[in-house]
Amino acid sequence: MKSLRLGVLAALFSAVATVLTAADAKLMIALMPKAKGNAYFLSVKAGAEKAAKELNVELLFDGPTDTNAAKQNEIVENWITLGVDVIAVAAENKEGISTALRKAQKSGTKVITYDADALPDARSFFVNQATPEGIGQGLMDEAARLMNNEGELAIITATLTAANQREWMKHIEARLKSAYPNIKLVAVRPCDDLKDRAQSEATALMSANPNLKLIMAICTPGVPGAAEAVKQAGKTGRVKVIGLGLPNENKRYVHEGVTESVILWNTMDLGYLTIYAGTALAKEQLKPGATSFKAGAMGTFEIKGDNILLGKPFIFNKGNIDQFDF
Amino acid sequence: MKRYFRELSVSAALGIVLLGLAVFAPAFFQPQPLLSLVTREAPTLLVACGMALVIICRQIDISVGSQFSVCSVCAGLLAARGWPLALVVPASVGLGALMGAINGGLVAGLRLPSIVVTLATMVTLRQGLNLVRQGEFVNLPDNVQWFGLSQSAGQWTLVLSALAVLVVIGLAMRHWSAGRQVYAVGTNAEAARLAGIPPQRVTFLVFVFLGALTGLAAIMNIVQSPQVQPLSGAGLELKVIAAVVVGGVAIAGGRGNLWGAFAGLLLLACVSPALTHLHIEAYWEKAIQGAIILLAVVADGVRQRRAGP
Amino acid sequence: MSAPANQPGWKAVFLRYEMLLFAVLVAEWLLFYYFGTTTNRRGVVVGFGTMDRQFDILRHSCEIGLLALALTPVIITAGIDLSVGSLLGLCAILFGKLWFDGGLPIPVAAGLTLVIGALAGGLNAGLITGLRLPPLIVTLGTYSLFRGLAEAITHGAITYTDFPASFLFVGQERWLGLPVQAWLFALVAVAVWLLVHRTVFGRSFRAIGFSPEGARYAGLPVERRVALVYVLAGLISALAAIIYTARLGQAKADAGTGYELFAITAVVLGGTSIFGGKGSVTGTLLGVALIAVLKSGLATLPVVIRLNAAEEISGLLTGALLLVALTGSVLPKILSGLRGRRQAG
Repeated sequence: MKSLRLGVLAALFSAVATVLTAADAKLMIALMPKAKGNAYFLSVKAGAEKAAKELNVELLFDGPTDTNAAKQNEIVENWITLGVDVIAVAAENKEGISTALRKAQKSGTKVITYDADALPDARSFFVNQATPEGIGQGLMDEAARLMNNEGELAIITATLTAANQREWMKHIEARLKSAYPNIKLVAVRPCDDLKDRAQSEATALMSANPNLKLIMAICTPGVPGAAEAVKQAGKTGRVKVIGLGLPNENKRYVHEGVTESVILWNTMDLGYLTIYAGTALAKEQLKPGATSFKAGAMGTFEIKGDNILLGKPFIFNKGNIDQFDF
Repeated sequence: MKRYFRELSVSAALGIVLLGLAVFAPAFFQPQPLLSLVTREAPTLLVACGMALVIICRQIDISVGSQFSVCSVCAGLLAARGWPLALVVPASVGLGALMGAINGGLVAGLRLPSIVVTLATMVTLRQGLNLVRQGEFVNLPDNVQWFGLSQSAGQWTLVLSALAVLVVIGLAMRHWSAGRQVYAVGTNAEAARLAGIPPQRVTFLVFVFLGALTGLAAIMNIVQSPQVQPLSGAGLELKVIAAVVVGGVAIAGGRGNLWGAFAGLLLLACVSPALTHLHIEAYWEKAIQGAIILLAVVADGVRQRRAGP
Repeated sequence: MSAPANQPGWKAVFLRYEMLLFAVLVAEWLLFYYFGTTTNRRGVVVGFGTMDRQFDILRHSCEIGLLALALTPVIITAGIDLSVGSLLGLCAILFGKLWFDGGLPIPVAAGLTLVIGALAGGLNAGLITGLRLPPLIVTLGTYSLFRGLAEAITHGAITYTDFPASFLFVGQERWLGLPVQAWLFALVAVAVWLLVHRTVFGRSFRAIGFSPEGARYAGLPVERRVALVYVLAGLISALAAIIYTARLGQAKADAGTGYELFAITAVVLGGTSIFGGKGSVTGTLLGVALIAVLKSGLATLPVVIRLNAAEEISGLLTGALLLVALTGSVLPKILSGLRGRRQAG
């Protein structure tokens, strides 16, 4: 068939052309969020882009529009065939993604994970913003501090099936049990990652639990949603709001005193560090067994085993939230 | 009495649920949270009115969620650019009407099945919005929230407007010929045509009307908080169709009214806060809603059977 | 009734449609082959044209393909089943539960899951045929109910993982050169094709879809046949659930979310009329292939990768394709209607 032959010839030609220009090709790093619309991951992307510019590497950013393990696999497969040098993934499902990642490693692509890990043998390093334990404990401790170690607490989560949130919940509840016997967790409600739904849930929670002292929102759209509910219920100050959220979405509520603290790791730093680590890995500057890693302007980071630690979760509050723009 | 059996039974079910709450969780009835709950459902009520008309006309529209998101984001962006609300409202309604016209044109003009047409427009609109917006929130200027009024004035405005729309459309369907035409076309399009009613035009207009109501609902939604999330309409179509069907509007067309849809909407909207107030785990919610829908549907079937072939 | 006289006319038009579909598929494939195949920086030919990529397309389309096959007889009878995606999720977690909590060996758990799928299909069937309820609304209810049960049973939280490698083999490895699930899919495809195109049952589906009353007067056991298609849909959804679990290595309550929409799109794209009365399993397979190739191929185009818009663009194009297919399918009706009018007067 003529068209097929033409097609093959054209492909060969472009292949040759690509090989000839390969020497000038930049290092290509592919970064995958759990959900690419999620503001959290968009800020990761912002930091990653900064690092990519500094290092003169090409950055690809793609992911499912809603968290979807199957789609993540598909995108990894695309990148393997594209032949990127490094794949950095925030895994929606540990086991599911690992098969695809192992395949990538076999084809010569370097693999690191960030934010949510895969199985250890499927990647070289995990850039850990904070362990789920650190996050869960950090949240619970901050909540307890604001509640004076006693009272009723409610949690708003993303969906009941979300893996990250389940992981954090486990540690929050463990910390609650072991350190704060006088605090009671009265409810866990999902908001499907919808700010408006979080608002409704928070309203109902406050109505159903008159002694509620604090609402903890562990998904980013949930924090402004819960804050708006508290504000509309006229309970600013009586029901505290904390959560994992982004500074920009919560600035107004923090300044109005509705939201006490917004906890996050600096997601831009997470992206920045991930790209630096990936590049170093590809250039063989970072090898397994290293105990520390220097990442450009950010300084040196500790490596525990195969986890590159970003550090403790960062608390945004009235005093510092204006310094950040993401 | 028999004619309105479905509407009455839904209202009875709603009454039983509310009674149960009054006994087991009286905290549900505190005025301020209850007002907030009802205000949150006001936009959905508008869309439900429009959807009831579409379903009575023997069609369906599963793209309303995407339409809602698109209108919300566009209205938000216009407001953020400094457009006064007086202009943003008609812009949103117009945009909704336009999207409805596309659906209506394809269904009425090309005689395509509405389930598949609106499936296509739903996916196209949603993906188009994602492409452009990438999930980013839209920040609204301060004077948009509650139309610039106080919170309680704003909430009452929204609730009363929604109820006014409900009443007006409900009465119109009964007493205006336009309304009766919808029933006629939904019962038997051919007979309607022979009686002088243009079925294609009526079909087209119900989609436009639904779109316009969706645009208005989007406005009612964005004035309730200072930010707009593009994902905000997700799942709306299911919520609204379920409410309408539970309320007695038959999918086969030609039967049902807005009061039933209203009762159906309230019943389904109660499930989530009821679970919270009764301290029942959240993971029962979807199963309960599915069961309510099926029960309503079965009740329809049983009633039909008893009425004869 | 002009149907019998037009029957050869319908068939000719239909075959033309499948040819068109095949041509579009080939054109699409070649387009992606040309633009999406390159040599990467390591000197290896990569992209759309590689066998690896083709196998991936195959693997990823097995589950949706199974659902589309399940829906084809349903839609031919002028029905619809919105619950297949949710049933996939429910079956997936029940499978995990039977294996993990129930301690049953994998084959037994799989067998039981298939039975459960059939029973769930039976629920749909019972409500639709027993109570004469519209399929759209019944399956809308079960769409919510099945997903809800999946969430309730797992409390939303439990995920079943750590399946034995022998099981994961089904979803992730190859047998005789092709992905394992492709063989299962081929088996089901052949079975459904035979059912629809070569048995009395299949003929009755078309008759029922064309005119249920007419079929009843002709002596067909309408209720039983309609019940059969929904039970079959449930059974096939359960099989898809098992393959899904094997491919991903996990069983979660949100498995299969959104799959029903793609399955319906594939069926309609394939030429099966949503009004019922005619349909083609081959068309459905072509429809599935078209969408799968589109999604995968778009993702290999460098321009799409740079734009990070693979999912949006493929969603947009799928929506557009669906509209074009629908319009195209209505044209023959309009044309023959014009022809008929000319003949009559």
